[in-house]
Parts: sequence; structure tokens; C-alpha cells
Amino acid sequence: MNGSDHNRWSEDLAAYMLGALEPGETAEFERHLADCERCQAELRWFDPAVQSLPEAVERQEPPPQLREALMAEVRADVRPAPAKARRWRSRPAMAFAVAVLLIAVAGGYEIGAGDSGNNGDNTVLSTREHGISVKMVREGEGGTLHLANLDQLPSDKVLEAWVRREGTVEAVPALLVPDRKGQAETTIADMSGVDTVMVTEEPQGGSEEPTSPAIVTMSVPQ
Amino acid sequence: MAVRREKAERLADEELMPLVGRKDPEAFEVLYDRHGGVAYSLAYRVVGDRAAAEEVTQEAFISVWRSGARFDATRGSVRSWLLSVVRNRAIDFLRSKAGKAPKLDFDDDSALEQRPAAERTEEEALRRETAVEVRGALGKLPGEQSKVIELAYFGGFSHSEIAEILQLPMGTVKGRMRLGLEKIRGELAEGLA
Repeated sequence: MNGSDHNRWSEDLAAYMLGALEPGETAEFERHLADCERCQAELRWFDPAVQSLPEAVERQEPPPQLREALMAEVRADVRPAPAKARRWRSRPAMAFAVAVLLIAVAGGYEIGAGDSGNNGDNTVLSTREHGISVKMVREGEGGTLHLANLDQLPSDKVLEAWVRREGTVEAVPALLVPDRKGQAETTIADMSGVDTVMVTEEPQGGSEEPTSPAIVTMSVPQ
Repeated sequence: MAVRREKAERLADEELMPLVGRKDPEAFEVLYDRHGGVAYSLAYRVVGDRAAAEEVTQEAFISVWRSGARFDATRGSVRSWLLSVVRNRAIDFLRSKAGKAPKLDFDDDSALEQRPAAERTEEEALRRETAVEVRGALGKLPGEQSKVIELAYFGGFSHSEIAEILQLPMGTVKGRMRLGLEKIRGELAEGLA
């Protein structure tokens, strides 16, 4: 390639970087760029200028509902995944959690004795505990846990759901944060073998293992 | 396995992307919290309407969520890639609205101002310094150069469309784009010196 060749393409470089070439011109320029070290070097030099353009726009505060809608869609995408990611067996901390859970059940906090029914194809368990309304809707192999009348949490706390399956307690991946109406829900992808569902208050980000007594404990009929 | 929020917050963007590719909501949430603000601001700058900016930003992030594995770290930062996705979506949105002209604020200095906000991290502080430099550099550009850059980058117009709008030869438009970018790049280089 001689100098005049390069100058011809060099004129297009800024327009290319600003996305202002026509589609055919873009393809032609990219073919040239693949073999032209001078254009590649110029492109690298100009790159910070182009990348900085969006940083200079006036900042607008995104509406909170954007984040909520986005994360709802994202979490809906992962719902089919089996909730077998985190399991602990025979670990001291888990022994505490299981003990808390069993004490809660034995101590009269069991919810399984609450109302149950069949809503079409969905089995529904519902009751109240500590003023919290709890509803579990079975949907195929999974289920959705609905909580209502929840108190607002401090900003550094979240609710985390757990299931017990064959003596092993597992965390439910999606954490719960009550909305303005004091409602929260989470999906349990795989309910097979689950005999108990419980909810604990945990630090922001959730815990690997339950660290506080359950505020809700629900027995699930097999 | 879902990475917990606290752990995800400690990861660099480039480390989050493989997790996003494996459908980790916490990793994705951290990515949004880091870049959602500038992404929405860019979308709003292009489409000029809050509801449309919200739609564009959501679509862009969902496309990132569903195609996170396509990010190529050798071609730039996650933030740049993400913002290019947002810009492309916003330009597509404008083009889909037949007859709707993009928002162009050539004479509106407030468009280049930035509201003060809490600087959560050193990185964010650095970005804000860069933003100040770029606003300064754009402000120093002759109007004829900033105009073609804004029409191309924020308006999504091709050089031939800009030539038609401004009644200029296409070579002049390309030349002004190049001169404008050279000056911005020069200002950035001085800022780093």
C-alpha cells in the first residue's frame, strides 16, 4: 500500500468510528483495515475520543422501575434452572440451621397445617405466621413462594428462602426484598423431595447458610 | 451457581461477563448498577424521551444478558461495548420512528453539563474527570466540527445524510469529523499528561 492509498482510507476513518459510513462503505473499509497497520494504529489512537463521547452526556437518573423490570425479566429467565446449586450436608453451621428449622416446626410454627387446596393444576398452601401471610403455589415440578404483610427491612438486610430436601437444606437462588406493599415472592425451581420451606432474614447479598431463626417455616406435604 | 451479590461486587467487569454468560442474575445486577446510569443517559440523549430511553435501555441490557458470551475483551472494555449496544439500539429506535427527528442540542450548553453525584468508586471518579475533559474538549470545538460529530454519533446520521442536511460536500463532512476527533483526542492526551 502506498501513501496515497492510505490517505484515501484515512479520510474515512473518523466517519467509520462515528458509525457514519454507509453499510457498503463500512464493509469495504473493514476489509482495508484488516491489512493496514497505519489505519489500525490511527484507530487505536482515536478510540479514546470516540469512547468518551457517551461519558460526556448529561446524566439522567434512570427510573427505579427500569431496574425492577429488568431484573424481573432476568430472574424469569433463570427460573427453569434447578435449585440445586448450593447444598450443605453435615456441616456445623448447617446443623444450627436445621436445628432452628426443626425447633420452629416442633414449636408450633409449622404452617403445613394451614389451609391447602387445589387451584386447577396448582396446589396451593397458605397460612399466616408472625403476622406474615404465606402462600405456596405448586407449578409443575417447581413452585412460587408468596409472602405478604412483611415489615420493611433495613437497607442492609434481605430475606432468603431455604428448602429442606432429604435432610439437606439448600438456599433458593433469588433473594426476597419486600416491595412497598410489604409483598415479596421467589420461585423454587425444583420442589421434588422438599418437605420444608423456610425464610430467614440475612445480610445484604444473602448468606451461604442461614444465620438467623426462621420467620416463616412451612411444611410441604409429600 | 449464582454468585452472591457481595462477591460479584468485588469482581471487575471483565470477570463479571463470563458469569453473565452463564446466566448469573447477581453478576448482571452489579453490571447494571455500575453502568445503567450512563446507559440510560446515553439512550435519553439519543432518543430525547424518557419512556423511549427506558425501553431502549431495557432492551439493550436484556440483549446483553442473553448474549453476554459475545463480549470480546480484546476489542475494548465492557462499558464501551455495553454503551455501543445501547447507542445502536437507540439509533435503531430513532430510525424505526419514521419522520421523527433525533434530539439535537447544538446550542444548548446544558446538554453538556452533568449533575453532581456521589462518587462511589475511584473508577467512577476517573470517569467523571474524563467526562469533564470531554465536555471541555467538545465545548472548545468549532461549532461546525461538534455539529457533524453530534449528528453522526448521537443522531445516527451517515456522512452523506449529514452532507445533505448541512448542504456541504461529503469530503468536508468527513474532514470536520476527523478534525473534531483529533482535537478531542488531543485534549484527552493533555488531561492525562
